[in-house]
Parts: sequence; C-alpha cells; structure tokens
Amino acid sequence: MNSTLIIQSLMAGLTNSFVYALIGIGIAVIYRGTRIINAMQGDFAVIGGMLTVFGLVSAGLPYVWACALGIAAGAASGLLIDVVCVRPMIRRQADDEAFLLLTIGLAFTISAAVLYIGGREAHLLPGIGGNGTVEIAGAFMSVHAIFLIAISLLVVCGLWLFYRKTIAGLSMIAASVDPDGATSIGINVARMRGYTFVLGGAIGALAGILVTPLISVSYQMGLGLTLKGFAAAILGGLTNPLGAVLGGLVIGLSESLAVVGLSSGYKDVVALTIMLLMMVLMPNGLLGKAGRRGG
Amino acid sequence: MALEVETLEAGYGPVPVLRGVSIHVADNEAVAIVGANGAGKTTLVRAICGLSQATAGHIRFHGQTITGDAGHRRGEAGIAVVLETRGLFGELTVADNLRLAEHTGRGVKRPQGFRPFTLGDVFELFPIVKEKLATRVELLSGGQQQMVAVARALLLQPRLLVLDELTTGLAPKVVQEILSVLTALRSRGMSLLIVEQSIKLAAAMTDRAYVMSLGRVVHEVGHGEWESTMSNDAISKAYLHG
Ligand SMILES: Nc1ncnc2c1ncn2[C@@H]1O[C@H](COP(=O)(O)OP(=O)(O)OP(=O)(O)O)[C@@H](O)[C@H]1O
Ligand SMILES: [Mg+2]
Repeated sequence: MNSTLIIQSLMAGLTNSFVYALIGIGIAVIYRGTRIINAMQGDFAVIGGMLTVFGLVSAGLPYVWACALGIAAGAASGLLIDVVCVRPMIRRQADDEAFLLLTIGLAFTISAAVLYIGGREAHLLPGIGGNGTVEIAGAFMSVHAIFLIAISLLVVCGLWLFYRKTIAGLSMIAASVDPDGATSIGINVARMRGYTFVLGGAIGALAGILVTPLISVSYQMGLGLTLKGFAAAILGGLTNPLGAVLGGLVIGLSESLAVVGLSSGYKDVVALTIMLLMMVLMPNGLLGKAGRRGG
Repeated sequence: MALEVETLEAGYGPVPVLRGVSIHVADNEAVAIVGANGAGKTTLVRAICGLSQATAGHIRFHGQTITGDAGHRRGEAGIAVVLETRGLFGELTVADNLRLAEHTGRGVKRPQGFRPFTLGDVFELFPIVKEKLATRVELLSGGQQQMVAVARALLLQPRLLVLDELTTGLAPKVVQEILSVLTALRSRGMSLLIVEQSIKLAAAMTDRAYVMSLGRVVHEVGHGEWESTMSNDAISKAYLHG
C-alpha cells in the first residue's frame, strides 16, 4: 500500500461524499419543511438521471436542456407526491409513521415504474466538462467529479441564503415549525409543503444527473442512494443541508479508507456502522442541537 | 359591527366542542371571553381565526361572511390573533418572525383613514422587541415572547385583535405593560376580543364579556356590569374560578 493509492482512494471517497451529501441535503430539505422522513429521495435521483438520459439520447436535446428536463421531472414528481398522497393524508390526520410508510412504498413503486417504462439497462451520461481527468498529487480525479463537488457546494450556499434571507424560505421553515402560527400570519401552509417537495425533488434529480456519469443510472439504484444519503443526513442532524455535507464527508471518506485498509466488500458495512454508532452516541448529529437549526 | 358569530359549532373530529355560540364585537369595542378550563374558549378563537373549521353557524367580519375562508386568508381580511400557544417560530430570530408578518401585512387593503403599524410603532410600544431583534425567539423569556407575538400580530395591520390568555403566567409588571399597550391600541380604533383567565384583568381590559361553559355562552356581562358581576358570588362560583 503506497501513499498514491491512499490519495487516489480518498479522492474517490471525496466524490462519493458529495453524492451522499446531495441525497442527504434533499432528505434534510424535505424533513425540515414537512417533518416527513423521505425514504424515496434516491428515487428522485433515478427519475432525474433517467429523464436526462431520455432527453439527451432519445429526444436529442442539448446537454443543458436535457439536464433541465431531468430536474423539472424531479420537481414535478415531488409536487405530484404532495398533491396526490401527502395532502389527502394530512386532511385525514394521518400519523407520522404513515408518511414514512408512504415514502417507502413510493420508493418501490417508482423503481417498478422506471423498470416498466425505461427497462432494466443502466445508462450513462457524458460528464460535465467532458470525460477528462486532472492530476492532483499524483492521483487522478475526473473533471466531472470536480464539477460535482463545486455544484454541491453551490447548492448548499444557495440553500443557506434561501432559508435565511428570502420570504419563501423563511415561510417554508415557519410552516413546519408552527403550522398554526404560520397560518395565523397569512402563510399558506399546504402550499409551502408543496414548495418543499418541489425543492427536494429538484435537488434529488440534480444528484441523479451528477451521479449518472460516474456510476450510471438504473431502476434499482434508488434505495442504495437513499441509505447513504440517510447516513449523511442523520450525521448532519437531519435538518441542516450543511450538516448533510459534513455527514457525507464522514461517510464517504471513511468508506474509502475502509476500502484501502480492509477490502472493498466492507464499504457499506463501514458507512452503516458509522450511522448506527452516531445515532446512539450523538442523536442530534455532528453539529448538536443548535446545528439542527442552522444551514 | 366588527365581528358577528352566530350559532357557531366547531370542534375536533366528530364531537362538537362549541354548541351554538353567538357573540359579537362592535367597532372599537373590547370584549372578553371568560370561563373555566375546557369551556371552549380556545376552540372559539381557533374557529374565528380559521384554524378549526366551523361545522355549523356563521362568522361575519365587517359584514362579510368568512365562515368557510381558509385560515391564511383571515389575516388579509383584518383579523390577527395571538394564540394560546403563541405560534411563534422559535428557531427564527425576532426580526424574521416580524418580517414574515410584515410581508403579509403589506399586501392587505385597509379602509381609508387606516393608519398602518410600522416597525417603528411596534418598537415604541415594546422597546424590548427592538433590542432582541437578532435573538432567536426560543431564547426569550415568556413575557418577551408574548410581546413579540403581539408585535407580530400588529404588523398584519388588523382591525380586530384576538388574544388567547395573553397574560397567563406573566409577571405583574409585564402584565401592566401589556395592558397599557392594549389601551393604546384601542385609541387607534382597533377592536379587541380577549380570552382571559383572570376576571380582574378581564374587567380592566374590556367593556363587556361572555361567560362560557361546556361549549356554550351561559352568561353575558353587559356594558357597566363588570362591578356587579364580580361581586355576584353565584355567577363567579358557577362559571369562573377566582
Ligand atoms: N386538539 C384537541 N383535540 C381534541 N379535543 C380537544 C383539543 N383541544 C381541546 N379539546 C377539547 O375541547 C374542549 C374545549 O377546549 P378549549 O381548549 O377550547 O377550552 P378552553 O376554554 O380554552 O380551556 P383553557 O382555559 O384550559 O384554555 C375541552 O374539552 C378539550 O378537552
Ligand atoms: Mg384555552
């Protein structure tokens, strides 16, 4: 084992970290805005990736427009889930567990629908900025991975500003913190929940588009992404997009070290063990209670 | 007439809590709702503000029927409320709590001659709110939170302010401060509907009152009748406590 190998592995881990972070950010956004634990966030990624492939390959759209189509599809799926499932359930005063069961059910439903419509094959997308690589300290990183990391960081900064500075962002927080209080000052709580699902769906789709050039997209990859995203989001305290990035880094980097030190078969074991340990030892996430409010 | 509630029924789920409640509040009038725990006072407030749907009866506001209007539309109509639970957003700063209400308040149309509340007005009424602008609401004391809640309600530019147990659990000094603010609000032409545990405070704050018990109005205290009501043991014992 030499140092280049470790650096190479860490760089792969860094890229994975941001994939997990992006899924985790979507989970955090939806939890923060609705208090619903979304077990189908990874399937937004499948939808986004698949529709971008469709736009680019089948419809012949330019890359940017194909990506826009993928993101719009994620956002629309989010809205659809809110309007068709969540809204009627809230009207009937469903319990919290019911929503978790709903999203688990949706994860399987979407996966089956993608299999039915799109088939069983995995699809690749060309990387953003081509398929080139750059050399960093003797190891190689794809240009696309650098874009992935940069875009993830932009998303986090954008969300930070959105939730802190804009009326829409503040209203979305307000609607979930105290629905009655929000209603009493003129905030349409149901509409804010819709916005939250749109945002979560769009972020999920973006994650799918960014991950497709690396590992390709297929109908059954949602659940795996959701699990890693969960680990990242939970480490980050579940409500804080910035926390999800920290969580993603912890998971992604320790996975890559496990690959170097143990064997690649232990990758998932490490990630999920860390998540379990964290839940027991630091139930409010890496940033503590206060950190759950930030971001 | 600012507010007219007619044979209103409302509740949680199938069993109604309110069983035909009728009350009214005239322009620039202050009216109290008193009654023992569980009488249905909060349920009435929630129905007036659109947080619980009425199952029967009518609510009219300045002549307009608002019975079926969504809760988030009542602020626009001119009703602001400080809920029993306060309804503040603890993890947001005082400034952000106010900003959200200000945003809604800016969009509402009011009759000619209505002088809107500015942030400056609100700071004048509650200097502490200005001092704590950058603080998260959850870090404030109960009294300070209550002032933020009133300040936030005022920024909706209401014509009727509904207060549910505003003074419960507050220090006497804070209560006095809030009382003087309410007096100032009335001098600006606002109508008040106040749910109050303490009969003494209710008498100090309002012109008239409705006494509720088991989801009904069981007694009315008319103009100038507060004195005699408070000295009437039968009423006090039957419906009130203290
Ligand atoms: N969320 C709820 N779900 C079901 N029943 C409720 C709910 N809130 C209140 N109730 C019931 O409705 C009745 C009236 O309650 P309400 O809160 O309106 O009384 P109140 O007069 O405001 O009492 P208090 O003085 O304690 O505030 C009570 O019997 C109460 O148990
Ligand atoms: Mg009450």
